[in-house]
Amino acid sequence: MSDEAPNEAEAPVTGQGRMDVAWGSDSGDEVDVAQTSAQTAHGGEIFEQKYTTWNGTLNPRWMRNWAILRHHLLGIFKKGHRPWSMPTRIFILIAFIGSLTDAAFTLLSSLIGSAEFHSLFGVSRDNLYGHVLGFFPRNVLFYPLVAALLVGSVISEDRQHGTSALYFSRPVSRFDYIGMKYLSVALIQALVILLTYMLYFMAEILAFGRGWAWMVDVFPMFLSGFIAGIILIITYTSIGLALSSVSQGKFFPGIGLIAIIFGSKTLASIVKNLFEREILYLLSPYDCVAHVGQAIIGTQQTYDQYPWTYSLVALVAMNSIALYILSSRVSSMEVTRE
Amino acid sequence: MDDDLVIHSKGLSKSYGPHVALDNLNLSVPRGATALLGPNGAGKSTFLKTILGLIQATSGEATVLGLDIKTQGEAIRSRIGYMPEYDALNPEMDAIHQVRYSGELLGMNPVVALNRAHEALQFVGMGEQRYREIKSFSTGMKQATKLACAIIHDPELIIADEPSNGLDAKTREFMISTLNTMVNDGQRSVLMASHLMEDVERVCENIVLLHKGKLAAQGRIEDLKAIDKEVEIHVWGGATRLEELLRDRGFKVRREGRVMRVGNTQEHTTTHILQAASEVGAQIRRMHEYEASLEDLFLAIMENLGYEVKSSDDLLSSPIEARRVDAPESLGGGAA
Repeated sequence: MSDEAPNEAEAPVTGQGRMDVAWGSDSGDEVDVAQTSAQTAHGGEIFEQKYTTWNGTLNPRWMRNWAILRHHLLGIFKKGHRPWSMPTRIFILIAFIGSLTDAAFTLLSSLIGSAEFHSLFGVSRDNLYGHVLGFFPRNVLFYPLVAALLVGSVISEDRQHGTSALYFSRPVSRFDYIGMKYLSVALIQALVILLTYMLYFMAEILAFGRGWAWMVDVFPMFLSGFIAGIILIITYTSIGLALSSVSQGKFFPGIGLIAIIFGSKTLASIVKNLFEREILYLLSPYDCVAHVGQAIIGTQQTYDQYPWTYSLVALVAMNSIALYILSSRVSSMEVTRE
Repeated sequence: MDDDLVIHSKGLSKSYGPHVALDNLNLSVPRGATALLGPNGAGKSTFLKTILGLIQATSGEATVLGLDIKTQGEAIRSRIGYMPEYDALNPEMDAIHQVRYSGELLGMNPVVALNRAHEALQFVGMGEQRYREIKSFSTGMKQATKLACAIIHDPELIIADEPSNGLDAKTREFMISTLNTMVNDGQRSVLMASHLMEDVERVCENIVLLHKGKLAAQGRIEDLKAIDKEVEIHVWGGATRLEELLRDRGFKVRREGRVMRVGNTQEHTTTHILQAASEVGAQIRRMHEYEASLEDLFLAIMENLGYEVKSSDDLLSSPIEARRVDAPESLGGGAA
């Protein structure tokens, strides 16, 4: 600028502002006494950051696995553990109560003393099969929906929220991670399917005063139904968790499981009706479980033109594929970034 | 193994098919706070996963706290605390139960884990919020909760991945002071991956710099920064004459108006400057030593020296032209 003083050492400095800039605003004669502000009072401090050490001992692998199992199981019943959604909890309760209807009717039949009523709901080969694998209402309204609600988020949430890092930065192996999640989901289903199955059997014993002879006589049938229930739980859990492992949301795994169970059954039915070909039932987890269940319990088989071992092989194949997908997807889950 | 080293690797390599993620890393991380630096794709995440024992190294060997990463991955993960960069919390859970669960996953008894969760959350300043659901937390509160999860078992080594990322000034300050407290009061070691050089400088004494999977530099920050010192002067009158005279006398000078930076490579540089100013009649209004920031150093190594530099000695022997200063280009910044 034209009015600016030249940058020369000998250039005159004019104006108070420029003098201030050049040499400061003091006269130079002041006594140098530090002017400090009044000390601020320290009061009301309630947070003191103090690092506390811990010299405890970490428990071995079984304790870590128990922690995962406990976290998932207790989450159904109380706060502070895995937060299962309220609709899931309510539906599990509904399914549990609904699955006990045959036990209730058994008790009722003992009260009214009707043999016909008892033959409809009491313990028998067909009714034991029906409790575990009967299409309506249990295997269409209860069990697949319970499985779908459970598997919906059990692994996908770890992808979604990044909580896989919480597991894998700890001394938790991927095998233990899958194993405990699998067991958790399976045990919750077992509460609905197998516990109610046992209560149903117990209701018959108590209501009708069944003795040891009856129990020994019926036990193989009971055990067969129990095993059929385990096969059902394993199959639904495997497929459901495989779907959960490939997803980041809870909707896709849940709806996917329902679609596979009922879609394949519907497809097999359509093909059977249109082309009189039944072999497609081997693609349906529902039909295969039912076929194997019918065979081991000894009731009338729906697909009696094919050996039940076909269905068993199909189930083994379905579970193997599902577990392969599950393990490969979990092994690729990241600890640093997802 | 040297007891003062928390991480030691020798020829550590990791390849994903033809892609080499870690290339013959020979590094030593001493006790205390160390920063793990490097641009995206430098191999930081792969390095962290390798030392956590989560992926197998292709070749070479490494130990963490004296434990072999190939065979003792679980033991390593029991003794370190890992704070991930990204969200790793269940938003539907309360902070206290989330931290307790992270302790249970380490093998802690549930009661003990709950007690420690209270202590850890109190330490990270979350004592009043511990019963709130995580989904209601701010970013800073989530970072603090992740740190509480990492330190619940009082680990010897804390690996913090971008601990102050996305935090406002106040919470960032608190996070930095918390890490410092752990290092200084708790006598714990911290390996901190961060892009915020200011935070790194405040927490860490050492850095490990990775570039394209190779070790670019490692050593004490002070040692590495000492290489780039200059004297900054503000000149009033005769600046051009002073600049020319200093150049004639072999000084590296960069100037923008009245501000000059003179390479502090000779003994008694300030005396030489004052003498030259006296000779040309220039006034030195301000003079101070200018020290490159860690960010300057990072950029200098990344852009100019690359991964051929192995140690601070190599950096010291490299030419000053190879470095940058943090001044804008108009002030002579950028590659000299």
